[in-house]
Amino acid sequence: MWVAPPLKGGSNKIMGSDALIYSVLIYGLVNGAVIMLTSLGFSLTFGLSGVANLAHGGIYLLSGCLAWILLNTLGLPFLPAAVITMVLAGLLGAGVYWLVLQRVRGLALSEMIVTFTIGIGILEFLRWAGFVTYDFNLPVIIKGSLTIAGVIVDYQRLLVIGVGVLIAVLLWFFSHHTKIGLALRGMAQDEYTALSVGIDSDWAAALSMALGHMIVAMAAIMILPLGLISINVGYDVLTMVLAVTILGGLESTAGLTLASLILGYATAATGMYLNPQWTQVVYLAAIVLVLALRPSGLLGKFKELEERV
Amino acid sequence: MLEVKELMVFYENALAVNNLSLEVKEGEFVGIFGSNSAGKSTLMNTIAGLTLHLKYREERRGGERITILGRLKFDGEDITHLKPVDRVQKGIVLCRERHPIFRDNTVQENLQLGGYLRKEHEVKESIAFVFELFPSLKRRRNQKAGMLSGGEQEMLAIGLVLAARPRLLLMDEPLLGLSPVMQQELVRALKRLSQEKLTIFLAEQYARPIMPLIDRGYVIENGTLIVSGSGKELVDNPEVRSAYFGM
Repeated sequence: MWVAPPLKGGSNKIMGSDALIYSVLIYGLVNGAVIMLTSLGFSLTFGLSGVANLAHGGIYLLSGCLAWILLNTLGLPFLPAAVITMVLAGLLGAGVYWLVLQRVRGLALSEMIVTFTIGIGILEFLRWAGFVTYDFNLPVIIKGSLTIAGVIVDYQRLLVIGVGVLIAVLLWFFSHHTKIGLALRGMAQDEYTALSVGIDSDWAAALSMALGHMIVAMAAIMILPLGLISINVGYDVLTMVLAVTILGGLESTAGLTLASLILGYATAATGMYLNPQWTQVVYLAAIVLVLALRPSGLLGKFKELEERV
Repeated sequence: MLEVKELMVFYENALAVNNLSLEVKEGEFVGIFGSNSAGKSTLMNTIAGLTLHLKYREERRGGERITILGRLKFDGEDITHLKPVDRVQKGIVLCRERHPIFRDNTVQENLQLGGYLRKEHEVKESIAFVFELFPSLKRRRNQKAGMLSGGEQEMLAIGLVLAARPRLLLMDEPLLGLSPVMQQELVRALKRLSQEKLTIFLAEQYARPIMPLIDRGYVIENGTLIVSGSGKELVDNPEVRSAYFGM
């Protein structure tokens, strides 16, 4: 996995129950930020266009591979490589909409099948292309670490927290206080009313796909340096994103944040007291439990209720 | 201003609008009346370009076959194949039936969205006019639109399209489902818009409150034009009066 929760006797040299608790508290927050940053692109695209982009894991890994190629094969410096990766991911998102999704627009199941197939196709293509060994990793942006309450936390993880919060705030501002953001939200609510006042729904959906992909690419560039670029990461990311959006409630930014923190702490505790291999079980259990007990998610709501008011 | 020539619209083999020709001149208030399934909404959606949008979408995904025949002209220009966005740009704006608004946005945000294609100072002017026309919206400008009453939602729906600064305002059953008091309020607003020389083309099932406002009217049934004339001529026609105007 891209996040390595602290293990007993591991590199963090944690001793005693207090240190274990501190470790869970700190790494829960780190994991939460990682989960939030990874999921923001999915949430944005779904919130603004209604498309559940199940190609998310594939795009995440593809972005990592693109960045690796730009850095290592073409020898570009980090910043241009990151920007080019994000732009390419954005163009891919818009292209997927115009070439494929536009044709099945409004058919939720078809949209999911299409994006899921694209995601799997990308991951298996990368496997075929040879991104399966342990040779591929991205450089950290800031090297070094600091110790908080006896727990070693590297700067890259702290950077992920900062970037995650910053992106979430910027997205909220964009969607609530800019003309284009308002238009995208309007289109997501009622396409034909949006069309009636001159908002081009296809343009808006393509833009939301592009923005979603760009954020996924940024997440990959920020988070993949914490681990290896491997095909399994793509599949893990898809499961994680589904868990966090279902737990938080689709379209709810506050729900996404809350769910990220809950899953962050759950995975940190699981990694600490059981085994990191169990984190996937945490995600899957969250999906099943939430769908069984509160299908709208923790902070999501069904529209029908509002319409009856 | 608007010319509809021999318009026919099919949903698969069902004929929704049948060889309809009509016109709306600049500054006129024209009504089109008919019962349920008469083809009023299809006509309005076709003029606004929404039927064309739906047709293309259905074609892309292999869905329902929609056929649009005939010609639509606006200011002498053929707009039959123009996208909805381009029609709004030209000033053709539709207020669809059942108070279409953006429920998760505030009243103020809705009005700003209405002016999406307009310049900032134009949007400000339009919003000021809407608040003057419907003072209750001003009091609720920061309230979520989905929490407004049905009547206020219809006011907001009209405000939303007014913010788009229409030259031709299309309205599809604005009185549908409103209380008599709220109907009176909307009729007052429509009268004001008419006095401002805004060109209005309004479809309504319950024609009685609208009749005093219109310059001319059409009655359609099963997508076919039955009768047309001035408001007075329509009211004076006993068959039309009893069948459509509840008089």
